[in-house]
Amino acid sequence: MNGQREIRFEGVSAEFAGRVALCEVSITLNEKRIGVIGSNGSGKSTFARMLNGLVTPTSGGVTVHGLDPVRDGRRLRRRVGFIFSNPDAQIVMATVTEDLAFSLRGRGLTRAEVDERVTSTLESVDLRGHDEAPTHGLSSGQKQLLALGAILIGEPDLVVADEPTALLDASNTRKIGNRLLDEIPQQLVLVTHDLRLAARCDIVLRFEGGMLLEHGDPRSVIAHYERDHA
Amino acid sequence: MIVLYRPGTSLVHRMPAGAKVLVFSALVLAIGLTADSVWTLPTAGILAISLYLMAGLGIPTLLRQFYAARWIALVMLVTQVFFLPVLAAISNASRVLVVIVLAALITLTTRIPALLDATEHALAPLRRFGLNPAGIGLVLALTITAIPVIGGFAADIREAQRARGAPVRLQTFVVPLLVMSLKHSDELADALTARGIE
Repeated sequence: MNGQREIRFEGVSAEFAGRVALCEVSITLNEKRIGVIGSNGSGKSTFARMLNGLVTPTSGGVTVHGLDPVRDGRRLRRRVGFIFSNPDAQIVMATVTEDLAFSLRGRGLTRAEVDERVTSTLESVDLRGHDEAPTHGLSSGQKQLLALGAILIGEPDLVVADEPTALLDASNTRKIGNRLLDEIPQQLVLVTHDLRLAARCDIVLRFEGGMLLEHGDPRSVIAHYERDHA
Repeated sequence: MIVLYRPGTSLVHRMPAGAKVLVFSALVLAIGLTADSVWTLPTAGILAISLYLMAGLGIPTLLRQFYAARWIALVMLVTQVFFLPVLAAISNASRVLVVIVLAALITLTTRIPALLDATEHALAPLRRFGLNPAGIGLVLALTITAIPVIGGFAADIREAQRARGAPVRLQTFVVPLLVMSLKHSDELADALTARGIE
């Protein structure tokens, strides 16, 4: 199982308009819950976006579950679900059910199969009873749950969440955090500023200035981060 | 996203989206080709009222559609008054108004995914010429999505400028609106790609 969920970065660097966003990152990850922390602009999101090919490396190589995000981008994106901090940018359709079903367009599923998956996803993200609710009328927490549902319905192998609780209150942060860390069966890469969520991961990576500064036991990495930013 | 669809079980609701669009196109053609007849406008008006009632939407919804299209009709009327007799200008503007109200009936009684499916199905034969029907359907859906989103940006900018005590001016309004819209389109493109929709 570990071999199937291996994420490997080998000497990966990325530059945007002459600015180094990621510098010589090399790491192999097999853990199920991977936390990523660091200051703003430290390279966390660039690292996360490389996992499904939204950002391509300037040099070095990335392999995610045996696939190259650059060469096999289209295939990989069907296997990697990505959640952004702002769910409004992710919601496309007018109602909850329609938005969930939208993720399955072009996958060759029958209407009955789509309906079945929508029903079970509504259940799994706690949006039962909101089936026909207008998406724009949902609370921020419900929108983020819908965004999560919209990727889980595609049955990905890996979920990448880039600051998914950044716009949420404490209660919704707890709800989304629990859903991601305790309930989903997929491997998870969680980019977050919420150190309590990061502490619940199996491993934490800390980025600073585009470099992978340290990685390992969450308690130790978080303690160093807090000490440096005290 | 704009929610135009009103759930219902009427015959109009149950009619397939593609058939609805075809009937609508035929009606528009008929209204255009019989423009000279005095019967066209009253007949089209009665048809619109009947269809709205048949769909269970009621007269208030019908009147709201007329009200929403008032500026388009007014612009048409004012520009034509200079070149045509007043009666002809009123007749033209009224016909356009009826067509808009009939078009609204489609969006009020059809779910967007059904419209997307119908669009993709209708454009499927053009695939052999390199056209991507799914892409065109997606563009239509995103166009409808963009309207309230950009409206929301405009409201945010007005509020921010008022909060700073700055008068709302065209140049200080358009630039941030453009920047926010472009940023949104970037985020949306990333989100769609991340959902495997390319």
